Amino acid sequence: MTVARAASGGPGWRWLFAPVPGAVGRTALATLLAFGAGASSVALMAVSAWLLSRAAEHPPVLYLQVAAIGVRVFGISRGLFRYLERLVGHDVALRLQSALRLDTYTHLARTTLLGTRRGDLLARVISDVEAVQDLVVRFLVPGVSASLVIVATSAAFAVLSPATAVVLVGSALVGGALVPALAQRVSRRWDAATAPTRGELAAGVHELARTAPDLVAYGAADTQLERVLAVDDRLRRLDERGAWVRGVASGCQVLAAAVAVIAALLIGGPQVAAGTLQPVMLAVLVLTPLALHEVLATLTQAGQSATRALAALRRVREVLDAEPVGAGDRELPTGALVPGPIVLDGLAIGWPGGPVLHDGIDLVVEPGESVAVVGPSGTGKTTLAATVLGLIPPKAGGVRVTGRVGYLAQDAHIFATSIAENVRIGNRDADDAAIAEALAAAGLGLDPARVVGEQGATLSGGEARRLALSRLFAGDFQAIVLDEPSEHLDAVTAEALLDDVFSSMGRLPLLVITHDPDVIARCDRQLELGVGAVTYR
Amino acid sequence: MTLAAEGARRGPLDPRLLRRGRATLAYLVAGVAVGSLTAVLTIVQAWALASALGTIFETHTLGVLGWAVPTLVAVFTGKAVLAWLNQWLAHRAAAAVKSRLRRDVLAARLADPVAAEPSTASVVTLLTQGLDALDGYYSKYLPQLVLAFTVPLIIGVAILTADFTSALIVACTVPLIPVFMALVGWTTEARTRKRWRVQTRLAGHFADLITGLPTLQVFGRARAQAQGLQRSEAAHRRETMGTLRVSFLSALILELLASLSVAIVAVAIGFRVVFHELDLTTAFFVLILAPEVYLPVRQVGVHYHDAADGMAAAESAFAIIEGAAPAGREPVVPVEPPAAGVRPGQPDLLRIDGLTVAYPGSAAPVLDDVSVQVRRGELAVLTGTSGVGKTTLLHALMGFVPAGAGRFLLEGREANAGQRRGRIAWVGQNPGMVNGTIADNVRLGDAAAPDDEVRHCLDLAGGSSLDPRREVGDDGEGLSAGERRRVAVARAALRVRSGRADLLVLDEPTAGLDGATEASVLDALSGLGATVLAVSHRPAVIARADRLIPLSPAG
Repeated sequence: MTVARAASGGPGWRWLFAPVPGAVGRTALATLLAFGAGASSVALMAVSAWLLSRAAEHPPVLYLQVAAIGVRVFGISRGLFRYLERLVGHDVALRLQSALRLDTYTHLARTTLLGTRRGDLLARVISDVEAVQDLVVRFLVPGVSASLVIVATSAAFAVLSPATAVVLVGSALVGGALVPALAQRVSRRWDAATAPTRGELAAGVHELARTAPDLVAYGAADTQLERVLAVDDRLRRLDERGAWVRGVASGCQVLAAAVAVIAALLIGGPQVAAGTLQPVMLAVLVLTPLALHEVLATLTQAGQSATRALAALRRVREVLDAEPVGAGDRELPTGALVPGPIVLDGLAIGWPGGPVLHDGIDLVVEPGESVAVVGPSGTGKTTLAATVLGLIPPKAGGVRVTGRVGYLAQDAHIFATSIAENVRIGNRDADDAAIAEALAAAGLGLDPARVVGEQGATLSGGEARRLALSRLFAGDFQAIVLDEPSEHLDAVTAEALLDDVFSSMGRLPLLVITHDPDVIARCDRQLELGVGAVTYR
Repeated sequence: MTLAAEGARRGPLDPRLLRRGRATLAYLVAGVAVGSLTAVLTIVQAWALASALGTIFETHTLGVLGWAVPTLVAVFTGKAVLAWLNQWLAHRAAAAVKSRLRRDVLAARLADPVAAEPSTASVVTLLTQGLDALDGYYSKYLPQLVLAFTVPLIIGVAILTADFTSALIVACTVPLIPVFMALVGWTTEARTRKRWRVQTRLAGHFADLITGLPTLQVFGRARAQAQGLQRSEAAHRRETMGTLRVSFLSALILELLASLSVAIVAVAIGFRVVFHELDLTTAFFVLILAPEVYLPVRQVGVHYHDAADGMAAAESAFAIIEGAAPAGREPVVPVEPPAAGVRPGQPDLLRIDGLTVAYPGSAAPVLDDVSVQVRRGELAVLTGTSGVGKTTLLHALMGFVPAGAGRFLLEGREANAGQRRGRIAWVGQNPGMVNGTIADNVRLGDAAAPDDEVRHCLDLAGGSSLDPRREVGDDGEGLSAGERRRVAVARAALRVRSGRADLLVLDEPTAGLDGATEASVLDALSGLGATVLAVSHRPAVIARADRLIPLSPAG
């Protein structure tokens, strides 16, 4: 596994780089190559300007050969350096990303994730870890190398004409740092103001797409469409301010470059006339800033990428720095086991670090019995399930189960792999015969070799639920918790599924979280988790 | 990056995008004009700089600065203004197209309201972040594509007037860039695509594992997957680097050709200056302009990925827009005001004659020549096994899906989708909830209904425990599936009671209700005096039916 990340302050460069051996060296190499590329294009202009000026003094051609070769070399080296830099930079970025992905995975695997509100967190972590690539490829390497090119060029200018060097540094600071920073600050404030409108647009689109049949049926489609488009219109007007700022910023950059060129002419010209500057150097001083323009643009882009990537990195760190909650992964007992009762003994439930949601729950579910757990949303039904599964500790009292407790989630994930591998989640040692048996028991006539999920064919809601069910059959469980087994299924599909579940698992103790009257009717008893009260029926 | 690969498959110029972007044509033309004007200013700038440098170098006098410096100040100021203008125009162009596409996609969604694909989530993603990718396409790529022709031409002519030989070198090298890039693209295409597929699959592994973590934890399998992830990450890096080595090649060729060409021009004029074949001012003029010829061509390459992302987004948008409106599919028909009164002598409120419905891409029709008859005041129940087309029949009746053949008659007169909707109060299997309160959702049936009327309709629907003031979140969050259905039934009841519908069309109206509530809801709906056409498989509903309409599989 990777080296543990030490907690540290600052933007977390060390935190990011430490676990990957050689990452710092490779990043330095990429930066050096990027510097080479940037310096090559500046040098191409500078040496060309010198070559022309020197040529105008009509020396023997021999004196120009070195410069001529230099011009050609710089012409080639820019592209080559750029190519190598991109490869090395992406390689480091991918290494860092892989290490961060592994750490994120192992960390999240240790913290209990059961419960519906975690979906957003997981989706965000995935894209945030992705953004870390940009930190190296689009911010660190181009930003540092562009700054180095400016420093190196200014140093060379300082030797020729200190005054032009000062102007060059000044215009680079204004054009490459100050103006982009100001523009970014202004647009960030505006972006923050735009964010709610973007959210509003997303919500409007979501609502319209989700309720389209109802809107059309009740003749409210046009009104709703106009409402969403009004938000779109507002967003466009807000975005326009951003475009205005970016426009002013790029105009200012042109002016900053102009200052460097004109100042070099105004400073260098009199120096040549006065004989204090070699005439061949005048063109170098005046024309080189033209080539710097590209370098300044790189700095602007680096700044824009930095904001996004650093925010993503910060969020990933927050996730990784958070204390694990509960057991995370379960340790299931092994071997042949006999079903026994689920016993809740004066149980108090609640999320670790959170309040007690219910206490004094006493319940015995014997093998062959089924108990419906009912109550309004958010009352702690899933918390009870997590406690029974041993994913989080009880707040007080105890849970006793015999053997392995299986769990059928309403949103069980179907992995992007074969049906067989999906069934093996329930029992990694299941052979082909066992898998075929589990699929048959779940009433699923699918080819075990068929690939499903993101890359494969999609399954219907009923098929997905049955595939999740087959994991329970493959796993040989002695007690079962069902979480909303009929939710999001149409009535016929739900009924057929429940028939199969109750007939095939009837000999086990069943704890059924539900608010579907059909499901409640099938259960022997009810445990109602009301607002602050627990009732048994 | 996936988007880029998708977009790259279709050329970077989609005529549909240009057509839809007609509103932005003016901005694009203005953008190209700004770019070309910038090129002209660059020529003036080069001339002023070259004259100043050449004169000072040869005469060691400063008189030339008297006109050169003011000229340069004016030129740079002009360029700054044009740079600002360019950003603004680019934004306007992109914004107009985005708004247009948003409208079209949403309208397409409403024209095909029951489409399973694309999912709501993907529509949201497309219309928010997805279309933002068009910014790059309209603000950078498209103008650059035109400028890649105009700017080299303008500056090339300027070089030609100064020095024929340099112009010749430029004219020979500029066309090499697209030729070589196309060659690299062709030779590496198959390889890149294959690698891309592997890479995409490996990249998805992490996302798949993270999303599935809760499931893995429940089965005690989470920790064990870390090793597999480590392996797939290593493979992912290998594959990605392999792809990048090839795909960065075209950028390498571009840079090499551009800067080597500048170098060749510089060395050539250098030696001609030595031999008095060229004066220094002209030489500087050519040197300053030479990189400017290649710049726009290089920029096209730089912005290619912007374009590919934008194209991919546009592609998804067009798929929805065109998918919803193939030939013969009905556009959104607004609800028409209800017709007045009962027409005596027409006992059949609804007749469906020879209805045939087939889904695109499937050979066998779901419904084949189905006829249905419902008399005024009846409770008619559609029965049949799962998948036989009960819901499809209701969707065709509502005009959500097009009928391949068949007629719909209300009181003996043929009625189009809008006229039918004007008479029907509909409850779907998974009713949609708008954001707002429960009362807001019920009032979709009649916006002007007073509070006690809303309350009454909720009671009718078996929702006496539902508080009309309760907020309903996104997707009806906070309401169970059964509660959502009750709100929808109340909505339909309100529609009927307000006199704006006399036919109730219900798809599994009582699923999620217990036996007692179910009976009272059915009685209440019959009590409204409306005709009811319902899909149900429940014995209690079937027992109450005046007419059973059994559907059997087509074909």
